[in-house]
Formats: sequence, C-alpha cells, structure tokens
Amino acid sequence: MSRTSRNFIIAYAVLVGLPIVGLVGILKSGRTLAAPISVDGVWKLQTDPVRLAALPCGKTLAISPEAALAISQSGRNFTLSLSDEPKSAASGVLDGTSLKASLVPSAPWSEEAGCGSGHEISLVATVDPKANPRSLEGTLSVDHCPPCAPVEFRAVRLATPVKKGSH
Amino acid sequence: MPDLFKLVLQISVILALCRIVGTIFRKIGQPRVVGEMFAGILLGPSLLGWVAPGVSAYLFPASSLGFLNALSQIGVVVFMFLVGLGINPQELKKHGHAAVLTSHVSITAPFVLAAFLALYLYPKLSDDSVAFTSFALFMGAAMSITAFPVLARILAERDLLGSRLGTVAIACAAVDDVTGWCILAYIVVLIRTAHSSTSIWVTIGGIVAFALIMIYGVRHLLRHYETVYRERGHLSENLLALMLLLVLVSALCTEWLGIHLLFGSFLMGAIMPKEQRFVRYVLDRFETITVTLLLPLFFAFTGLRTDIGLVKGQEMWMYCGLIILVATVGKLGGSMAASWLSGMPVREAAGLGTLMNTRGLMELVILNIGLDIKVISPALFSMMVLMALFTTFMTTPVLAVVCPDRFLREGPAKVPAQDAAIGTLASADKISA
Repeated sequence: MSRTSRNFIIAYAVLVGLPIVGLVGILKSGRTLAAPISVDGVWKLQTDPVRLAALPCGKTLAISPEAALAISQSGRNFTLSLSDEPKSAASGVLDGTSLKASLVPSAPWSEEAGCGSGHEISLVATVDPKANPRSLEGTLSVDHCPPCAPVEFRAVRLATPVKKGSH
Repeated sequence: MPDLFKLVLQISVILALCRIVGTIFRKIGQPRVVGEMFAGILLGPSLLGWVAPGVSAYLFPASSLGFLNALSQIGVVVFMFLVGLGINPQELKKHGHAAVLTSHVSITAPFVLAAFLALYLYPKLSDDSVAFTSFALFMGAAMSITAFPVLARILAERDLLGSRLGTVAIACAAVDDVTGWCILAYIVVLIRTAHSSTSIWVTIGGIVAFALIMIYGVRHLLRHYETVYRERGHLSENLLALMLLLVLVSALCTEWLGIHLLFGSFLMGAIMPKEQRFVRYVLDRFETITVTLLLPLFFAFTGLRTDIGLVKGQEMWMYCGLIILVATVGKLGGSMAASWLSGMPVREAAGLGTLMNTRGLMELVILNIGLDIKVISPALFSMMVLMALFTTFMTTPVLAVVCPDRFLREGPAKVPAQDAAIGTLASADKISA
C-alpha cells in the first residue's frame, strides 16, 4: 500500500468514520428525549352551541354540530382555527398536557357578534394522552366578563389518514 | 372543478412577481432563482398575508391551493429529472482521493452537526408523534444538501467551470445530492411504513429491486436515445414524449413503492446517457416551460406555507440563528477543512466550502417533503426556508471575498474543459439564470 493511500485511509477514518460513530451515539442518546405531546391535527368539537352563542363573542365561534378545530403545532406553540373560516384564529401554548389559547375574532365578525371592548375568548383544555384517538377536555370563557360562565367542551382528534400520493 | 379564473390569476401574479424580483436580484449579482424563492415568500403569509390579508385571502384561498400545488409538483417532477440528467457522479473519480474525501466530509460534517443540534431542537420544535431518529436524520439530510444547479450557475458566472475549484465543487455536489436523496428516501420509508401495514423490509426490498432494474436494465435501453440522437442530430416528438412518459412512470413507481414521486424522476434523470451534447439537447427541450412557468409556482406554493410570523420572540429567532450557524459551519467549514487537509490552498478551500454551502431550490424541495410527512413543524419549516435563503444568498458575495478574480487568475490552474461536468453546467444557465 502506497503512503498516499495509507494517508487517505487514515484521513477518511478520522474525518468520515469517526463522525458516523458519533452520529450513532447521538441517535441512541436522542431516543431518551421527550418532545411535547402531539396535538397537531383536526379535532371534532362537541359543546353546547346555545350556551356558547349566549356568551359575548360566542357567536364568532359559530360552532355547529360538525364543527372542527384545526391545530397546527410547532413544539410547545400552536395555532388554532375553527372549521375553515377565518372568523377566529388563535395562538396558544402547550404546557405538559395543558393547552391555553386566546381566540381573537377577526374585525368584521367581532363587531357583528358584539365582541367589542377587548373581549377575547380563552380556551383552556387538558389532553388525555392515553385516549385513542386522543381527546381534549376544557372550557371556553370570555375575558374581562365576570358574569359570563365558562362553557365546557370536548374534542376528539380525527384520525389522520396516511397521505399516500397526497404530496 | 378548479376555479379557472382564480387559477390563471394566481399564475399571472406569481409569474409577474417572480420575474420582477428575479430581475432585481440579478442586478445585485445574485442568481435569478434566489429572487424567485424570495418572491414566493413575499406572496405568502409572511408579507402579503400580513400586510393585506384581504387580498391574500382573495388571491390564494385555501380551497384553491390544491390545484396550484398539483401544477407546481408536476414542475418539480420534471425539474428533478433535469437535475438527475445533469448529475454525473463518475466525475468524482477523475479527481482522485482528495475529492472523494472532500465530498464525503461535506456530507458527514453538516449531517452530524445537524443531528447534534436536533438533540437541542427536538424537545422545543417537534412533538411526540415524530421519532427522534426521523427528526435527526431529516435535519441531517436537509443540512447536507447542495443546490447543484445554483452552484453550477455561480461557477459559470465566475468563469470557474473549467477550474479545479469548479470541477471538484460540481463532483462533490453531485455525490452530496445523490447521498442526501438516498437518506431522505430512507426517512420517508421509515415514516410512511409506521402508518402502514406493509413491513419496512418489504418496502426497502421493493425500492432496491426497482433501483437495480433501473440501473442495470433500463439504463442500457436508454442508450438507444443517445444512438438515435447521434445518428439524426435530433429526437422525434414521439421519442421525447416517450422520455417524459418514462419519467412519469418511474415517478409513479417510487410513489407506489412508498417513497415519493420525486425519487423516481430523479433516478430516471440520473440513469440517462451523459454525453454532453445529448444532455444539452434534452435540457433545451424540457427546461424552458419548467423553469419559467412551473418552478415559480413551486416557489409561490412554498412561500404560501412559509410563515415567518411563527418565528416569534427571541427564543425562536435564536433557534433560527443556530440553524443557520450550524448549517454554515457544517457545510462550509467541513468542506473547507477536508479540501485544505487534502492539499488545496486555503483560499481555494474556502471557495469550495462557500460553493458547497449553496442550498437553494433543492433545499426547498426537501423541506416541502419534510412538512408533508410532518417530520418537521411549520415553525421549523419556516426557519429552514430562511436558512436556505440565507446560505444561498451569501454564496456570491462570500465567494467574491474569499476567491477574488485576481486570486483565481493567478492561482489555481484550469483543468481541461473535458473534465468539467459540462452537461450539467450548461443546464444551469437556464435553470438558475
């Protein structure tokens, strides 16, 4: 074996082989890491629409029996929207199994539904990680409105189909 | 049924903005493709959706994006065929051990650093539906890719095609891309089989069998194309249509096997004959519509999925900065160190590292796959798009500093033009001009 070939093999082992060994170590140690619980996806919402509509701002949610809650998650942060209408969009934070989000109705709707005076709808919920499909239970309440009683809701995550050929 | 008025309006707006921003970027010495990538982001929630939400909702309602996506994906399928057509990993052999070492280090260094960064980012930007292994491997593959066509275009503009720097860069980028796509295929299989009843080994076996048939069977049949071209000086419309059909069938096979359409089209391009004039001829037939019409739609679709608003707060911007830093140190630093250790002068080695750090369109293609299979979150997608833009944008000015024309004129000798990956480089004129 020539000196050049030997040097090449040594350099290759150090610069390529060792990092690959390091990569294996990283992948092994990473398996013990815990990421935030997944809430990403579409959730079927169940609540009392009459009680909800009675809340100031409640009409903005326009929850029908078929209402769905779409959550787009990035780690602990998430954005949330109801059905596919841009009537209300929210951003929130996940802390363990607890979700907190504030829904700010968009301007035209907000006035129409009596949502002035800085009213926002707060969503507080807890995820049941053991349920299959995953479920959420919590309340929707109006900020700065002591007489308004929170409205309970439940949501079940719809199975996300395997998107074969969908991209 | 698509709303044709809306679809044509969308395409018109996208084309107009891409041309305008692309031209502005050309004026500041950047490849047009960087401007087009930027134009896509301007049309998305990061600018248009933020400044004029009403206009954005009218122009790009959620219900219309499926058609735009379908058109853009057709463009990317053809584009990946053209990229595969231009790639000739055999070039690496001409440059000996040094190029092999540089090429492999330029993959492993960013890959390992990205996996290391994944240890930090996984608990912050991912969720428990994604396995750490998939997350780390995806980050590695996304950071180790090089934008082959953009790199070739920059080399052409600097008259570096025939230089040692240029030929080594092209050869290394070819190997990087092939390796990156193989790793990505593995990740896609890993994730898709987790949701499917088919065993991962059946899927991998199918893919390996398909690749072997393509490489050892179909490739030999494709030589007839080159023979016909050599004899007649052109290919008939029927033969060109058949070529396109083969690309689509190959794409469908890889999609059916459980990876992705794009792997099939890339593989079909990679096994095509590599004779320089033949490659140029095929590129001329296919790239104009792809590059001027369909790829801008892909940039716009990517831009519509990129929401820089998700990168909010000091913490998120710090993650974004870390991603850019790790991507640059891994790719630029790794390639530079390996080529310098292999005997390349330090300035030339720095130039090679800078060129290898170009990610461009190839990165966007990979990131979109990652977002589709949900291995990365929307916020991480946006950060990685920013990283792709930043690393591509920095290439031209940094190259001018580390490898000024004066140095290149006095420094590294030119190698014979025959040694350059000419077919590929020629294609880059249009792909990223």
